[in-house]
Amino acid sequence: MIPAFSTFLALRYLLTRRINLLCVLGVAFAVWAMLIVDGVFTGFVKNIHTDVRSSSPALLLTDLPHDTSYEALREQLEADPDVTTTAPRLRHHGLLQAVQRSSARLRAESSQLEFDRARTNNGFALLLGIDPLREPAVVDLEAWLSRGPDQIARRGRIDPRATVFDETDLDRRSEMLVPDAVEHAARRRAGLPRDADASRHRSAWPGVLLGWPRVFANARASAGDPFDVLCVAFPTEDASGAVMRPHTTRMAFAGWFSAGSRLFDETTVLVPIETLRTMLGHDAYDPNSVDLVTDVAIEPRDGMTQDEVEALTDRLRKIAQALLPQQANRCSVLNWREQNETFLSAVAQEQAMMEIVLFVVMLVSAFVIYTTLHMMVTQKVKDIGVVAAVGGGPGGIGTVFLLSGVVVGVIGTALGVAAGILSAVWLNPVNEWLYAHVGVELFPRGLFDLDEVPCHLAPEWVASVAAGAVLLSVFVAVLPARKAARLDPVTALSYE
Amino acid sequence: MSTEKPPVLHAADVHKSYAIGNRRIEVLRGVNLTINAGETVALLGASGAGKSTLLHLLGLLDSPTRGEVQFSGEATSDRSAAYRAKLRNRHIGFVFQFYHLIPELTALQNVLLAQMMGVSVLGYWRARRRSHAAARQMLERVGLGERLHHRPSELSGGERQRCAIARALLANPSIVLADEPTGNLDSQTAAGVVELMFSIQRERDLAFLLVTHDESLAQRCDRIVRMKDGVVIEQEQVR
Repeated sequence: MIPAFSTFLALRYLLTRRINLLCVLGVAFAVWAMLIVDGVFTGFVKNIHTDVRSSSPALLLTDLPHDTSYEALREQLEADPDVTTTAPRLRHHGLLQAVQRSSARLRAESSQLEFDRARTNNGFALLLGIDPLREPAVVDLEAWLSRGPDQIARRGRIDPRATVFDETDLDRRSEMLVPDAVEHAARRRAGLPRDADASRHRSAWPGVLLGWPRVFANARASAGDPFDVLCVAFPTEDASGAVMRPHTTRMAFAGWFSAGSRLFDETTVLVPIETLRTMLGHDAYDPNSVDLVTDVAIEPRDGMTQDEVEALTDRLRKIAQALLPQQANRCSVLNWREQNETFLSAVAQEQAMMEIVLFVVMLVSAFVIYTTLHMMVTQKVKDIGVVAAVGGGPGGIGTVFLLSGVVVGVIGTALGVAAGILSAVWLNPVNEWLYAHVGVELFPRGLFDLDEVPCHLAPEWVASVAAGAVLLSVFVAVLPARKAARLDPVTALSYE
Repeated sequence: MSTEKPPVLHAADVHKSYAIGNRRIEVLRGVNLTINAGETVALLGASGAGKSTLLHLLGLLDSPTRGEVQFSGEATSDRSAAYRAKLRNRHIGFVFQFYHLIPELTALQNVLLAQMMGVSVLGYWRARRRSHAAARQMLERVGLGERLHHRPSELSGGERQRCAIARALLANPSIVLADEPTGNLDSQTAAGVVELMFSIQRERDLAFLLVTHDESLAQRCDRIVRMKDGVVIEQEQVR
C-alpha cells in the first residue's frame, strides 16, 4: 500500500519546485527524439531495403571463374525442383561516351570524359550484360523501366518508357534494338551514315539502358542516340606476355531505368549480354567461345520458407561448385541481403550508432532526474525528520521520492510520446510548409529521391521507448528514495 | 498525579551512546522514567544533560543502546522502524522548538499530514471530508481558523507553533512530547502558547512531557524531572 502522505507530498514537491519541470521536459525531449529520429531513420531504412530488394534477384550465383559457361550451369541449376528459372549475367567495367554531332565520327577518348564530376554518372560504368529474354523472369524489369522515366519526370523532363523489351522479334529483343525509325532519326541527328530511304533502314546498334541518375550528365540524350561503349577484355597471354584488348561498340540509347537503389542506378548500365560477350572476345559465332557469365540470377519457386531457401542456397552452391574446375575458388549463392551486405551493414551500423546517441540523450535526462531528486532529498532532510516524527515510516518516506521520479518519468514520457506521434504525423506537412514559406527543408527529400520524408513509428518501438523511459526514471529515483528512507529521524530533525 | 492511571511511556535503565570517531559518547546512562496517562511532566536540565535524547527515545524516534522503552507496557526497542512509526502516528504527538512545519504545505495541509500516514490514497480520499473537518476544527481550536490556507512563511512564530500543536493533537494521541515549545517565542506569545497547551491537556486529559529550561513553566506541571550528565538526578512531585 502506498500511504496517502507519500503521494500527497510527492505531488506537492513536484508542483512547487520548478526544476522538476526541467526534468519532465528533459524526459519528454529524449523520448521525442528517440521516437522521431529513429522513426525517420527506420523509414529511410525500410525504403532502402525495399529499393535494394527490388534491384537484386532473389538469389545470385557469383564468384565464378572468368571463363564460366552459362549453359552447363543453367541445366543443372534449373533441374532443381525449387528453381523456377535462371538468367545469365555478365559484369564488366567500362566507359560510356555520348556521340555528339561535333564529334560524331570520333571514338570515345578518356580525355573527353568528365573527370571533374565527382559523380558516378560520368563516363565510368558498370556494364551489366543481361539476357533480355530471360532477365524479366528474375527481376521486375517492368518496374525498372517504369520507374526510370518517373524519376526523370520529377526533374521536369518527360521521356517515354523504354520499349526494347516489348519487341516481338526475339532476335531484335535479345539485342535490345530500338525501332528502325528511331535509330535512323538518331543517325540523322548525329550526322552518321544512314540509308537515304528511312523505311529501308534496319537498326544495328545494340541498345543500352542507362540508370536514371545519368540524366545529369546526358541531359540531351533521346531515344536512339549513339553511345560509344568501351571496355577492356580479360588479359590474355601471347608471346610478349599479358595483353589487354580494348573494344569499343557503338550502342543506341534505349531509355532510362530505375532499379530503386540509387547506388545501383548510378553505377550500372544494362547492355545485351551477347554484345558484352563479343566485346570481351567471346563472339557467339566463334566455335571456341563460351557463353560467358560472371553471375547467374536465380528465381526460386514461390512460397518457400526461410529454411527451405537456405537449404536451396546450399544445394545450388554445391551443384555449381561441382561443375567448376577443381582449382576454382569457392563460388557463392547469395540472397538479396547478402548481395548488398556491405551497404546494408553500414546502414544498420549507422542506425545502431544513432540509437546509442539517442540513448545517451535519455541517460542525460535520467541523470537530471537523479540529481534533481538527490538535491531534493538533501534539501528536504528536515521535512523527512518531521514526517518521521508525525508517523511516516521509512517505506512511505522513500516512496515520496520514488513517486516523484515516477511522476516525472510518466508525465515526461507521455508528453514525449504525444509529441513524437504528432511529429510523425505532421512531419511532411510541416516540412512542406517550411519549404514553401521559409525556403527551409528539415529533411531534404531531393537528396534521397523521395516524394515525402518516410517515417515509420513501429508501435512496439514506441512501447519500448516509453517503457524504457519510465523504468529508467524509476531506476534513477531508487537511489535518492533509498537515501531518504534510510535517514535517521533524529539526525534529520537536527539537520541544519 | 494520579497513581492509578496506567503508564503511557516507561524508560527502563535506558542507555544511549554515540560513536564519534574512535570515541564513544555516553549521553544517557541508565535513565528510569515513567509517564502516566494524563500526567504532565517537565524535564529540566542544562544543555547536554540528555533531555532531547531522552525525548527522542521516548518518542520512539530512536532506539536505546541498552535498556528498554515501553509504550503502554509494550517493549518497543526491538520493533521495526515501520511499527514504531505507526505507534508514533497513532499515540504520540510532537511539538518542537522550531515548529518543523513543511513549508510547501498550508496550515491545514500540515495538520492533515498526520491523518495521511496510515491510510492509502483511496482510504484517505473516502475519509477526506471527516479529516478536513477535524483538522479545521483543531486549527480553530488553536486560534488559526482564519489562517487555514496560509503557508508557514505567512504565519508568525506563535501561529506556527499553534499550528504544530494542532498537528500534534489531531490524531488524538495519548501523550504529547514537547521539546522547548516556547524556546523560540517572545514571552507574551510563549505565554499564550503555554496556556493553549495546558488548556488542551486538561480538556483531553493528555499526558505531556515538556522539555524546558523555564522553571516557571515547569512549576505548572504535575512533576519535575531533573537531569544531569545523562542521568535523572531528581524527581519532584509538584501536585
